[in-house]
Amino acid sequence: MTKTKAIENCTSCNVRLVEAGFTRFPCPTCGETIARCVKCRKQAIRYICPNCGYEGP
Amino acid sequence: MNGSEDENSDGKMLISNDRYLSAGIHIGTQQKTEQMLRYIYKVRSDGLYLIDIQKTDEKIRDAAKFLARYDPSKILLVSTRQYGQKPIVIFAKSTGAKAIPGRFVPGTLTNPDLSCYQEPDVLIATDPYADQNAVREANIIGIPVVALCDTNNVLSNVDLAIPTNNKGKGSLAFVYCLLARSLLAEKGIETFDYAISDFEAGGELM
Ligand SMILES: [Zn+2]
Ligand SMILES: [Zn+2]
Repeated sequence: MTKTKAIENCTSCNVRLVEAGFTRFPCPTCGETIARCVKCRKQAIRYICPNCGYEGP
Repeated sequence: MNGSEDENSDGKMLISNDRYLSAGIHIGTQQKTEQMLRYIYKVRSDGLYLIDIQKTDEKIRDAAKFLARYDPSKILLVSTRQYGQKPIVIFAKSTGAKAIPGRFVPGTLTNPDLSCYQEPDVLIATDPYADQNAVREANIIGIPVVALCDTNNVLSNVDLAIPTNNKGKGSLAFVYCLLARSLLAEKGIETFDYAISDFEAGGELM
């Protein structure tokens, strides 16, 4: 049910998702996959959906 | 919870402004964090920060849409806060999600040897500070975190924040009731046989 594309880079800072603690989830609005690296999650860096512009967290 | 008469009164809002205000959703704390600034409407003369309920409503709708994309049995709610415990149990009951009220056993998400081990796909935290152990474990296993966030919360390791009073008995019942109803509505289920009072913590021991 939770199909997320296996995108390889953080949506916010574009770093490659290698270090554990990253996550991928569907954009609440459009379902596009959003990825956040461990650092962006920890620092609460804003993400913007590349498809619809939804902003979080 | 029958919101039909409320739904039209404030355009697109899930429920009327007045209902939000009477539940105390907007009552924050006397502290604010940089990350919660965008959800704060104003500071009262006594130093209390007030939450912008338009944003609360917006984020409840976003969270409902988001959660509707998951298998309900893979949604896990936690609340070490006492007043959040009954709301998360009723949320779980009404939506098919799972709830851990009270103490969160370390390793619940990370140690397969524990009898209480769980493998959720998404975590809902009642307070990212009070529930920091669960949030940390969700972070380790790489699942997204939805959290009710008050004006004094930092949004570290939170992927979707719902700005709200996350301390009051009435506000926690209200937010979880609205979120459960909206989640089911997103899945096309319009019948919701629970009232806000069903979500509200009473004198019972959990
Ligand atoms: Zn990043
Ligand atoms: Zn989007």
